[in-house]
Amino acid sequence: MKWALAALAAILAFAAPDFFALANLRDLALANLATLIVACGLLLVILAGEIDISVGSQFALCGWAIGFAPWAAPLAGAACGLMNGLLCGALRLPSIVVTLATMVALRDAIRWLTQGAWTRMPDGFQWFGLGQTQGQWLLIAASAALALAMGWALRNVRVMRFFYAVGASGESARLTGIPVARVRVLAFAALGLLTGLAALLNAVRFTEVQPSAGIGLELKAIAAVVVGGASIRGGRGTMLGTVLGVALLGTIGAALAFLGFSAYWEKAIQGAIILAAALAEYWEARRA
Amino acid sequence: MPRPQWVLLGLIAVEIAVFGAAGENFLSWANAVEMLRVACEIGLIALAVTCVIVAGGIDLSTGSLMGLSAVALGALHRDWGLPLPLAVAATLCLGLLCGGLNAVFVTRFRTLPLIATLGTYSLFRGLAEGFTNGARSYGGFGDSFASFGRGWQAIVFAAAAAAFWILLERSRVGRGWRAIGFSPDGAWYARIPVTRRLSLAYILSGLMASLAGVIYVARIGQAKADAGTGYELSAIAAVVLGGTSIFGGRGTIAGTLLGLAAIVILQTGLRLASLPAEFAGIAMGVLLIVTIALAERRSRWVWAIAGTLAAAVCAWAIVRPAPPTRRVTVAMMPKAKGDPYFISCRKGAEEAAKKLGVELLWDGPTDLDPAKQSEIAESWITRGVDAIAVAVANRDAIAPVLAKARGRGIKVLTWDADARPESRDAFVNQATPQAIGETLADEAARLLNGRGDFAIVTGALTAANQNEWIVHIKRRLERHPGLRLVKIVPSDDDRDRAFAETQTLIKAEPSVKLFMGIAAPAVPGAGEAVKQTGRSDLFVIGLSLPNLCKPYVRAGHVQSVVLWDTVALGRLTVESAVRLLRGETLGPEIVLGAPLIFTRANIENYDF
Repeated sequence: MKWALAALAAILAFAAPDFFALANLRDLALANLATLIVACGLLLVILAGEIDISVGSQFALCGWAIGFAPWAAPLAGAACGLMNGLLCGALRLPSIVVTLATMVALRDAIRWLTQGAWTRMPDGFQWFGLGQTQGQWLLIAASAALALAMGWALRNVRVMRFFYAVGASGESARLTGIPVARVRVLAFAALGLLTGLAALLNAVRFTEVQPSAGIGLELKAIAAVVVGGASIRGGRGTMLGTVLGVALLGTIGAALAFLGFSAYWEKAIQGAIILAAALAEYWEARRA
Repeated sequence: MPRPQWVLLGLIAVEIAVFGAAGENFLSWANAVEMLRVACEIGLIALAVTCVIVAGGIDLSTGSLMGLSAVALGALHRDWGLPLPLAVAATLCLGLLCGGLNAVFVTRFRTLPLIATLGTYSLFRGLAEGFTNGARSYGGFGDSFASFGRGWQAIVFAAAAAAFWILLERSRVGRGWRAIGFSPDGAWYARIPVTRRLSLAYILSGLMASLAGVIYVARIGQAKADAGTGYELSAIAAVVLGGTSIFGGRGTIAGTLLGLAAIVILQTGLRLASLPAEFAGIAMGVLLIVTIALAERRSRWVWAIAGTLAAAVCAWAIVRPAPPTRRVTVAMMPKAKGDPYFISCRKGAEEAAKKLGVELLWDGPTDLDPAKQSEIAESWITRGVDAIAVAVANRDAIAPVLAKARGRGIKVLTWDADARPESRDAFVNQATPQAIGETLADEAARLLNGRGDFAIVTGALTAANQNEWIVHIKRRLERHPGLRLVKIVPSDDDRDRAFAETQTLIKAEPSVKLFMGIAAPAVPGAGEAVKQTGRSDLFVIGLSLPNLCKPYVRAGHVQSVVLWDTVALGRLTVESAVRLLRGETLGPEIVLGAPLIFTRANIENYDF
């Protein structure tokens, strides 16, 4: 994955140096901000050996909730996450089934609630009332701080190490006295909270929220976390890898545009790059 | 029989009882055939995916492979002139190859199945879109192929189900899959050929996805790159609902068939009971969680909750107020329910229905999906409505259903987009694609003073309407030789995507001075991108709703928006349907009027 990212950067530096203009990098960071924040939360869930494919639907629901009050978004997200967490963590139902169910149910619920209507944000909500430039840098700083804090905490804070322990082996974690069920519930609730935060920070860039937002967000975020080297079986993965995964998958589309590819081939090339990253990993592992 | 299947059987019994009471003509032979037809494609995929999941894997690429197979079949038969049986055989070989690609990555390169098939999920769909430029669709496969799609696929499905049952539950191969699912290392020590067995599961999955693609083409009569979108998740849902463990090792074909039946009965039943289509997802979510909870946990609480739910639903079906004396029913279908454009049409339709005292049924696919349109129209025929008005997503796909409706004496209208003239009584025409394309191209020429580069931000790359408009825009450019169309980018009807694509284009193609959004969310998306650059030398025009664009038009970031009066279109459609039902004769086309151009001068006068 490191190699894929380096190769992409090298090609771009050679063929389209404009790609590295500050304004472009800033816009790309903003475009991928929601994916990054969701991927942070998803990393916790995946580390704990679970999966959540309902984040895209949660994202749309949280966006709708902003219409009532900005703080309603993280709250709604945390509630959704807690529901998933209780079903998966406390009742021990398989998380892929539970979140497949909540993904479909929440998506249709938001369709029914809004009947497709867009949610208008209050006046002066854009950029939290700051100027556009300050607002943009504030968002980037906030998400960077979040990623840094997560990365630090995952190495140094005892409770955060529990996620690794639970994912590596639930039984051993239980025997060492870790409250396994609570750790799992916490992972889902944290993911919900972060999804709500992502919806809020994304909405700040615009003046209206679309009820069909977030379709496919779950695939983007899961792919980023796993391409970033986390094990889908739990217990292994880093924040740095996740950030690099988001960076690779989030910039491919724009990079192809700068290199002058037709949009009709974009999806095929993205798929080929995921497979190439998988191949590179295989060869790296074999050499080691 | 294992426990989850008893639970499922109970669930199906409840569903049949409820919909038998609440749905019109649910318990009829015609409805049974229709449900079987709808179930075949997802079913074929679900059978193979059961084996993959039992062997501890997953396959997300099946829906995309359906799309690639449909396009391949069309290209082989229509472009290369291969006879149909040969083209089908070659398509199935392609399915084997694509399944083989998954197998190579999972077994040889030890990629996690989720990642490998996520990659091919993107790759297969992308190849289908790339080869057809998103727009090409193939039709004209002949009558015998179409009649195959009218019910004969059930035989293929039954044969496949029997074969997979033998394979998974009565053969060494199936025992191998189970062993690998429980423990790959253990299976290897037990001398099970792990690589070969696993590869077979993925290759069969590819083959079934291809076969499903071929059957889809036979049923719909048309092959396009977006065939089978989302089928992978429906298939996985059926498998998991059927009690197959997602961690591998445990699972049965009978369970998958029951899971599939539960899902299809639910979807069709809701339509016949004229409940909104959105309830399908909500109900399916609840069902998935309740059945899995019943299967996995033997707690009294879970039983109590499930029992209460079932009792409540049954009670509702019995006591729900019987519909009042039967009124004239007009059923009206948009291309996609969530699209703001169609939502504003609905407003006018409801006004007219209220005024004329008829009952209006409004339902459609939640996303653009020609196959879903046919399914909904079928359920309306089964239900016995008086008139059907469809905004046609694909004229070849909808033709057989409309012919059937007319055969039953139902008045058939089209609105927004026409079907073939012989398959409807009247067409409510708002503006021809040609008029739209020409108006947009002329607006672009006016703003750029006849000279300059522009780009189009479309909906999905495969959207039929948008692709037709693009053809007319390109044709009109002959009149404006100074204009150059530099690039077409997709927005997938997502404002955020339209925003990001426009932002990238502004920097990657600095020569582009005008952005033309041709999907409702694309115009505000492009407008916001231009607003955030702070530049005033860029133009945004397009086809969208005035209310979505007002802030940008007011501030001068969007120059003009082209559209017709959508509320009036909805009203006119219902009025025309009622006039047809009263026996009046209308011309084949009822025209709404010329498209409107909204600018800063007049946009405040419109509210839709």
